[in-house]
Amino acid sequence: MLERGKISPVQMALFMNPAISATALLLVPSITAKHAHQDLWLSPIWASFIGYFIVFVSYQLNKLFPNQTIIEYSQQIVGKFFGKIIGVILLLFYLHITGVIVREYGEFVSGASLFHTPMAVIIGTMVLVCSLAVRGGIEVIGRAGEIIVPVVLLLYVIIFILLIKDLEIKNMFPIMEKGITPSLMGSVSPQSWFSEFILISFLLPYVTDRKRGMKWGMISVFSVTVLLVLTNIMDLLLFGNMTASLTYPVMVAARYISIADFLEHLESIVMAIWISGTFIKITVFYYAITLGTAQLLKLSDFRPLILPIGFLILLFGLWSSNNLEELSLFLGTSGAIYILSIQIIIPVFLLLTGFIRNKVQQGKGNNENEAPVNH
Amino acid sequence: MIKKDSLSIDLAENIKVLESIYADCSDVIFRHFSIGNRIKAILIYIEGMSDMEEMDKNVLTPLMLREIGRQFDIQTILEKNLAVSAVKEVSTFKDVTNEVSSGNPVVLINHQSQGVSVGFAKSEKRSIQEPTSESVVRGPRDGFIETLSTNIVLLRQKIKSTDLKTKSIQIGRYSQTKVVIMYIEGLADHALIQEVENRLNRIDIDGVLESGYIEEFIKDHPYSPFPQILNTERPDVTAASLLEGNVVILTDGTPFVLIAPTTFYSLLQSAEDYYGGFIIGTFLRWLRYAFLLVALLLPSVYVAILTYHQEMVPTSLLISVAKSREQIPFPALVEALLMEGSFEALREAGIRLPKNIGSAISIVGALVIGQAAVSAGLVSAPMVMVVAITGIASFMIPRYSAAITLRILRFPIMFLAGTLGLVGIMLGILTIIVHMCTIRSFGVPYLQPLAPIRNTELKDSIIRAPWWSLKNRPHWTSDYNKVRQPNGQKPSPSKGKE
Repeated sequence: MLERGKISPVQMALFMNPAISATALLLVPSITAKHAHQDLWLSPIWASFIGYFIVFVSYQLNKLFPNQTIIEYSQQIVGKFFGKIIGVILLLFYLHITGVIVREYGEFVSGASLFHTPMAVIIGTMVLVCSLAVRGGIEVIGRAGEIIVPVVLLLYVIIFILLIKDLEIKNMFPIMEKGITPSLMGSVSPQSWFSEFILISFLLPYVTDRKRGMKWGMISVFSVTVLLVLTNIMDLLLFGNMTASLTYPVMVAARYISIADFLEHLESIVMAIWISGTFIKITVFYYAITLGTAQLLKLSDFRPLILPIGFLILLFGLWSSNNLEELSLFLGTSGAIYILSIQIIIPVFLLLTGFIRNKVQQGKGNNENEAPVNH
Repeated sequence: MIKKDSLSIDLAENIKVLESIYADCSDVIFRHFSIGNRIKAILIYIEGMSDMEEMDKNVLTPLMLREIGRQFDIQTILEKNLAVSAVKEVSTFKDVTNEVSSGNPVVLINHQSQGVSVGFAKSEKRSIQEPTSESVVRGPRDGFIETLSTNIVLLRQKIKSTDLKTKSIQIGRYSQTKVVIMYIEGLADHALIQEVENRLNRIDIDGVLESGYIEEFIKDHPYSPFPQILNTERPDVTAASLLEGNVVILTDGTPFVLIAPTTFYSLLQSAEDYYGGFIIGTFLRWLRYAFLLVALLLPSVYVAILTYHQEMVPTSLLISVAKSREQIPFPALVEALLMEGSFEALREAGIRLPKNIGSAISIVGALVIGQAAVSAGLVSAPMVMVVAITGIASFMIPRYSAAITLRILRFPIMFLAGTLGLVGIMLGILTIIVHMCTIRSFGVPYLQPLAPIRNTELKDSIIRAPWWSLKNRPHWTSDYNKVRQPNGQKPSPSKGKE
């Protein structure tokens, strides 16, 4: 096998949380607020169902092909040629999405503190650090997640607590003034984030305890939901209907913090925390692309691919949009459909086909496909 | 070739070979004598390495005055004539030279294909003193010395069980240094012992003068700045690691023993954490963890905030910092690099200089940097404070090898802070975390028990739980011996009679 490391289900759940939530925390509140208005805190809850569904689908697919990633079993399910095409589509898609993610990071950092630094430097340094983690393989990503994620979550909770005194409950009402539709409309964009949970189909073969893998995948989805609901409530109670017009509501919220008139303007601290979450996010995507490419090309080692793919990610980051407004528009409109269609339709199609094929072959008494193929 | 050959029956021939081996060795003495006036024999030793008074009394005297009976061989001499407990038969030239080199005189007798080495080696040794690199307020005051046998004795005195095993090997083509692997049978993992042995046996080097030579040969990640093997001069620390199932490597000629495997947390522990009560131990640990971050990051954070994030500083503080920096010609990064650089230089100079000059240097350093540089407007007073606090913080780390790693890492992070601000610092921290997640020490992940999480071991790393609750041994102990002590030893006031 390409990857010899193993991770525990808890490790997977820990690093999947920032792998979804890191960028969602920044952009989603204002995108959601545009449609959902004061119901924006409900949207992540609707969106999370996609997350649970996707974790379920990847777990079922993994049950059919326990030791393979989506790139490998797609070739088993629909044949070598079409399987490879699906693999290429997925990898190009993730390359693009990772480019979008690093661009989100770059736009945020350059907007928040490094105004004059070239975008290529901001993105390039981050991709370089991520490449170190990818080089270490899944175990290193798992361990780094165990160190970073608890700290990030703890600091996030502390920020929330420090803001409690500024919250205005009345901003929340009336709940569901125009029925459920606005919050459902607002949930389309978070849905695309939740659909990224399909990434666990790259990781499940390396999880020690698959049964608990499903459970902890669900817990991970739940934790992201809680985090997003908390963020949205926080933004709603702070800004009310103004949320939609802010680009980074969380950053603006951090400006409200003032402890003893001494600790003020903590947005740089928030940024620093957020960077470590984004680091995990980019690393997980980067790792999936690298591993997937190596599997598609049937290489014996994925490490030589790391730097070339990192360079591609940097380029995609520079190309993906011209500025923040364009990026935000993309993620709020066409991007949501684009991301959802690939990350839901392909796995569901694979699962159904695989299931039917399995049934047919079992009827014939031929169990070829059931036997896991070890590379 | 010759050296490996066994001794011949003919003494004259043996002498010829040995004299050619020891050609141009003026300190090797060949003392001819005869046993009971009839049989020729020779005594070979190195001047000054053996106790000759004892030798004369217990070996030469009885042999020379001996009456030769019917039976005469080495066995009878050993049984009846040599009143010495440490004797060894030697049968090859290699044995002879080994014994002579380690200070044991060798007696060769005509018509015998075996010789006798007498254990009268005498070595110069330092007396046992308190280790200077790891001092404690409460705890044993003895430290290892340069003599291997004494160091083993110090450990045997602490762990008397017969399960304490020692395996001896020789490393160094010329130095032929004796290296001993110590472990407790039943606690240390067999695979670990085997791995340590294999790695030691692989070493082929001219000489081993300090355990640092060995450390570099057996590290898992040779290019990492982090120490992956613990070194200590304290027998109590060593005994504690033995009891946790670690393997200890003692090297002749140095007081520093190596302990493997090592995690990052054991580098941040001091022996006293375990002696002074668990509340105090926990407090000291947290203090140490906090100041670890200070030692690594404080100058960088100062630079980053002054260069990129001035808005974080409260206005009143910002005004006073700005006032003190008014006349400074350098940007904050240059100022920080200058100060940190000269502080490191001062510290290093203080160690190398003779003790009586060292204090003078520290006064000059304090005056020059602390006072003159500030009043001359070259560095600002807040910067001096930052450097001083960082210096103190780096001395809080109990292991010198870990402290120096952090001091080295401080400089690249300072550069990152000067170029990318807090983002740069975060990237630096992330790189370090990723690197530490990659390292293993003899198969044990470096950041264990935090990553991967081991709940039972967290009790003895994040906090220092009381002894009666530390039920389990660390996980690298062999699997069949997990439990350190039984439950229910928590003390409570006796109920007494009403």
